Amino acid sequence: MTLKIRLLLIAVVCAFTAQNIMAQEYSGQAFAEADPSAAIERPVIGSYRIELGRRIDYSSYLSPFSYRGTNFALSGFWTKALPCNPRHLAMHFEGRVNFGNLLNPAQTARELDFHAQLQWGLQWQKRLPDHWLLGVGGNVGLYGGALYLPRNGNNPVTAQFAVGVGANAYASRLIRIKKLPILIADRLTLPLLGGFFCQDYGEPYYEIYLGNHRGLAHFGWPGNRFGIDNLLSVTLDLGRTAMEVGYRFSMQNEHANHLTTRIFNHAFVIGVIPGGLGIKTGRKNIVTPLY
Amino acid sequence: MMKTLQRLYILLLLPALTLLAAGCTDEPDFKDTYYGNFDALAQIIDTRYCFLEEKGIDWGKVTAAYRAQITEDMDIVEFFLLCSAMLDELKDGHVNLSSEFSTSYYRKWWSEYPQDFNLRTLQEYYLGFNYFQTSGILYSVLPENVGYMYYPSFSSGIGELNLDYVMALLYNCDALIIDIRNNGGGLLTNVGVLVSRFIDSDTTGGYVVHKTGPGHSDFSEPYEIVYHPADEYRIRWVDRKPVYVLTNRACFSAANDFVAVMKTLPNVRIVGARTGGGGGMPFSSELPNGWSIRFSACPMLAPDGSVTENGIDPSDGYECHTTAEELASGHDAILDFALAKANEASGKDD
Repeated sequence: MTLKIRLLLIAVVCAFTAQNIMAQEYSGQAFAEADPSAAIERPVIGSYRIELGRRIDYSSYLSPFSYRGTNFALSGFWTKALPCNPRHLAMHFEGRVNFGNLLNPAQTARELDFHAQLQWGLQWQKRLPDHWLLGVGGNVGLYGGALYLPRNGNNPVTAQFAVGVGANAYASRLIRIKKLPILIADRLTLPLLGGFFCQDYGEPYYEIYLGNHRGLAHFGWPGNRFGIDNLLSVTLDLGRTAMEVGYRFSMQNEHANHLTTRIFNHAFVIGVIPGGLGIKTGRKNIVTPLY
Repeated sequence: MMKTLQRLYILLLLPALTLLAAGCTDEPDFKDTYYGNFDALAQIIDTRYCFLEEKGIDWGKVTAAYRAQITEDMDIVEFFLLCSAMLDELKDGHVNLSSEFSTSYYRKWWSEYPQDFNLRTLQEYYLGFNYFQTSGILYSVLPENVGYMYYPSFSSGIGELNLDYVMALLYNCDALIIDIRNNGGGLLTNVGVLVSRFIDSDTTGGYVVHKTGPGHSDFSEPYEIVYHPADEYRIRWVDRKPVYVLTNRACFSAANDFVAVMKTLPNVRIVGARTGGGGGMPFSSELPNGWSIRFSACPMLAPDGSVTENGIDPSDGYECHTTAEELASGHDAILDFALAKANEASGKDD
């Protein structure tokens, strides 16, 4: 399936979904009835996560083959409803560092992978009946890192750096099993436009070190830099703390100067939310962007 | 029922989009078979090696001829030797195929030429086994006040302070001989460190070119390599006293680049034999079976823009050789020639 067909399909699905969302009705707050006399609480909900999984890296600058191995990441995610319209507008911030340890198909060479990213986003949210919450928005992001293949002499690294704006989407449903509130959520982030670094096809870093910086920066759009980051999670609100488990799939594909760099990441995520979600502790006027 | 289906659809939407986006790859599909490995090797050289056009090699014809020699019953060593023989057609000392049991190496760029050097002769008959040594540099003052330094590899890092001591000891000599015979190259940054002691202003050391695409003639504009003089407080050889750089055919890669820039300096003469070349900065890649392949990827041009892959000639009137018999009897004709020139320049030849 070509990239254009994929993008077209995604656009069609998004359009259909938007129509669906707009047809729904807002039905109020989660489990507790709001107290009109009390002020609305807008706590910062922070989740601190450890991620462990499988990674597949491909950089045609380094090798004609994909490297596969393990990935370890630490991440933090913070979100808060905005004061101007707390039930509909929210902001979030996310930081993540990844470390990958990979081998070539013949298992004769090791590649190391280090990446870090920061994202800040805004989201418009709509609450639907049966404790559904849907949100869409935009974000700005910063992304950098490197794939390092020590076996290579003068081309040992694929450096990656990108900055840009993107879109995000969120869907969640709050359910209760016996007395335990459980939040099932999915968060999707897509980079859309921005700039990214890519050296020329056979350009050594020595030449860049000498000062040749021509053609290193590229305008990125989904046709040459396509990425997706999706976290499907289940959060158990235990009271003073909440526990989150999930699965993250992220993929990033850059193509410029006849070079392709692609990273697939599948990770099991476990996180903790100090203070919990505020459901089990019975905070009635709490408004969070999570449910 | 309809509403439930709609909501289920929404919850499943985001993961579905993700899977849709992860659809396809354009990674080449080479199998780990003799043919798969051979085809991967052929394609890597075809798309990334930088001297196919310069050397007039019809790579398609070469690969077709060697591919026809693959048989299913050949063993892995035979297959390795077949691939190595194909790579030898490139006539490039920077091309190596590395397996678990061997690394191929094209040696004819130096093996078919006189060696013109013997380290034992130098140490015994000229240095008397009595010399200083730092940062991989052997150095001493030869009779008649001629400074001498032997630098056998640009892989040996040169410390600026170490180089200060070398230059300080040799500073009052009437001439300086820099012997880089048998220097097979190393780090280009070490070239810059050494050159910086012989220039007093920014100096063009050559140009680097890289491939911009898989085509045989897809190259960037040459980018100038500029060497900067060492800091004022460092000890430099910039008083125009003569410098003689001794070379033989085994000077390769970074040593070749060093000769290219030193040859342009007015007080420097290149003495000895044509260098071995190696004017392509090597990149690495690999085959499905894990073997690694190193190949020239970026041509390095001399300051006059000429390709240095095939070596650099000595200065006009300074070519000379020394035979194995001379070396065995304690005479290094190239060093003797440089010493004679140094004495001549300082008026001691009467």
